[in-house]
Amino acid sequence: MELIDKLSILADAAKYDASCASSGAPNRSSRGKAGLGASSGMGICHSFTPDGRCVSLLKVLLTNFCLYDCQYCINRRSSNIPRARFTPEEVVRLTLSFYRRNTISGLFLSSGIIRSSDYTMEQLIQVARLLRETHQFRGYIHLKAIPEADPRLLEEAGRYADRLSANIELPTLTSLKTLAPEKQLGTIHSAMGQIRQGIDAANDAATQEAKHPPRSDNPKRMAPRYAPGGQSTQMIVGADTTDDRTILQSAEQLYQRFRLKRVYYSAFSPIPERPAGLPQAAPPLLREHRLYQADFLIRGYGFAAAELLGKPGNLALDIDPKLAWALTHRDTFPLDLNRAEPALIARVPGIGLRSVQRLVELRRHRRIRFQDLIALRCRIEILRPFVVTQDYRPADGQRDSARLRQQLTAPQPAQMALW
Amino acid sequence: MTLASSTPWVVPAADFGQWRDAARRLLQAGVPPAAVIWEDAREVQEDLFASAEAGAIRLPEPSVPPPPVRIAREDLALLERASRYRCGEGEQGRWALLYRVMWRLHQGERAAIHAADVDGRVLHQRHHAVKREAHHMHAFLRFYRDDTDGDEADARGAKRASGGEEFHAREDYQSVEESKASFIAWFEPAHDVLELGAEHFADRLGSNPFLIATPRGGVAWNGEQLDYRTPCPPAWAARARAAQTAGEDSEHALWRTYFVSTFNPARLNHRVMTQHMPQRFWRHLSEGDLIPELEARARHGGRRLAQEASVGERKGKTLPPARR
Repeated sequence: MELIDKLSILADAAKYDASCASSGAPNRSSRGKAGLGASSGMGICHSFTPDGRCVSLLKVLLTNFCLYDCQYCINRRSSNIPRARFTPEEVVRLTLSFYRRNTISGLFLSSGIIRSSDYTMEQLIQVARLLRETHQFRGYIHLKAIPEADPRLLEEAGRYADRLSANIELPTLTSLKTLAPEKQLGTIHSAMGQIRQGIDAANDAATQEAKHPPRSDNPKRMAPRYAPGGQSTQMIVGADTTDDRTILQSAEQLYQRFRLKRVYYSAFSPIPERPAGLPQAAPPLLREHRLYQADFLIRGYGFAAAELLGKPGNLALDIDPKLAWALTHRDTFPLDLNRAEPALIARVPGIGLRSVQRLVELRRHRRIRFQDLIALRCRIEILRPFVVTQDYRPADGQRDSARLRQQLTAPQPAQMALW
Repeated sequence: MTLASSTPWVVPAADFGQWRDAARRLLQAGVPPAAVIWEDAREVQEDLFASAEAGAIRLPEPSVPPPPVRIAREDLALLERASRYRCGEGEQGRWALLYRVMWRLHQGERAAIHAADVDGRVLHQRHHAVKREAHHMHAFLRFYRDDTDGDEADARGAKRASGGEEFHAREDYQSVEESKASFIAWFEPAHDVLELGAEHFADRLGSNPFLIATPRGGVAWNGEQLDYRTPCPPAWAARARAAQTAGEDSEHALWRTYFVSTFNPARLNHRVMTQHMPQRFWRHLSEGDLIPELEARARHGGRRLAQEASVGERKGKTLPPARR
């Protein structure tokens, strides 16, 4: 099979993994060195496909042959799809070529499980090793961690990769048992635990090194790096009946227990030869969007999952989760922006983290006026009922939440149009 | 020392360094913003501002002793970035805005550089636009193999092929060739971000020489140094545009294939795509012309499945359960 045909099949097979981040890597440069590639903390999106998703990395499977029969997965063994397999050298060649043309910032390599978990993991590592050692590639590498693989291999993978990810795919034990009978939550968790330990150990070593710098510049004597971009995972949304509350609670636990950098939510997309029981509907994009918003509130704004969804069920589709929280906590509002704690200002709908910072800074120079919120481009129409400034007090501050919600959501957005 | 001069000071500046030197002198002489007319030498003809330079710019004498002019490092960086903004019709000139902010800071008005301030707001918006455009350049610039310098490239290839013991396999030979190849790009930035792009690509490409041509300036990297030319030499521009039009090698065909396959038609979302990748960039992307076609196909039935249609048409294969 020609390389271009393999690429067509194995990129198609890999696109169900939502992650394409190239951020969080250490600063590397190839200036004055042999080899190729650089990285900085900031990721780069080199293109956007018409689905609005960023193309930052060459995201392919090494092979879509697979021993597993996970029902939600297009590459499951019982799926009648074209199969292909790259050699490690082919992936290297594509990565370097695309990188030089500036269409990608690195590689995200995953794979179907072939022969054994160890063998599969070894193949992924082989690609990373070729890139890093033979070609001195300093771009971004994200490797999929095969949970059942030998811990020694995960250890090795972390030496080459900027990021490792083990996908949880389904947030509950029951769903995993029904839809992915060969996967085990236990091994996924232990892989995540091991990766966390690796990252923690490398960070400790780096801290030590910062206190007592080594006498030589020889990289071999420096603290070993381990997945400096952290680890991530993915949960599929809408393939089973799991509600948002369960999804968010699992995500919160994963953040706490394994210190994940990111949990990705992937709206289940219809696949060919759909097994019975799986939806043949458009992917629930708006639901996915609300989950990302809620996730962001948990990671960045100090919200707990239980605050955002106290009862079983899903997040509201018509309003964002921050506004939803504010509407059920009217006793906190209206909030005086000249007095409130920064953490509370961050809870005002329509005010983002950057604006919180700027408002706090501005308070040191002078009193905050309503005009400042406009200048900072906060979402005025949303925040109006929730804030007090030097020259402003909301007229609708006493209005009841149901009417307020109605007023704030004029035309109801529908779930993304069906075909 | 008289400050009240009825005729305003006319000060040209072609870059941030020149503005900074002039602004320091003006501040030390206590000249308020209203008494300075800044000329944007970036926007006028080359020869015009060359003569201004030659004729030595007339600047006031500082008061004695000159008061120190201080600015925080991050504020200076903010001013420098914001100065790269190309002003549109009716927008205030870059140097005048910078000087007004500087003047107010010098008077102890700390809020002048804050994003909620009347001047600070404009400054931050410009800074943001410049940052975004530099990011666009890092993201959407496309390099093509530049084989115009054929003889030299061949000689390098031959030397490598006969010399190195580490290059056995054919794959290796090919990558060696690539690792010495020159690359070229044409880019049309909306603001003055060429330097920000060039530094970035020098880090990325290391020993690969490259050349970037834009409608204003150009830059060449020889693997060691950046060589800036303003205006961009016409020969560079012609080569860069020709390379882009030719669409180059089979490598961009691979990239186009990847782009098609990694797209999920079931998730079609035009608004988000154009928000992140404005249409003005499409015509310079090797995948740009694919976008309308992919969207059209997705709208006409392609959204039923996430799988790319051409992949679905290939012969499939189910696999037996594992022997355990």
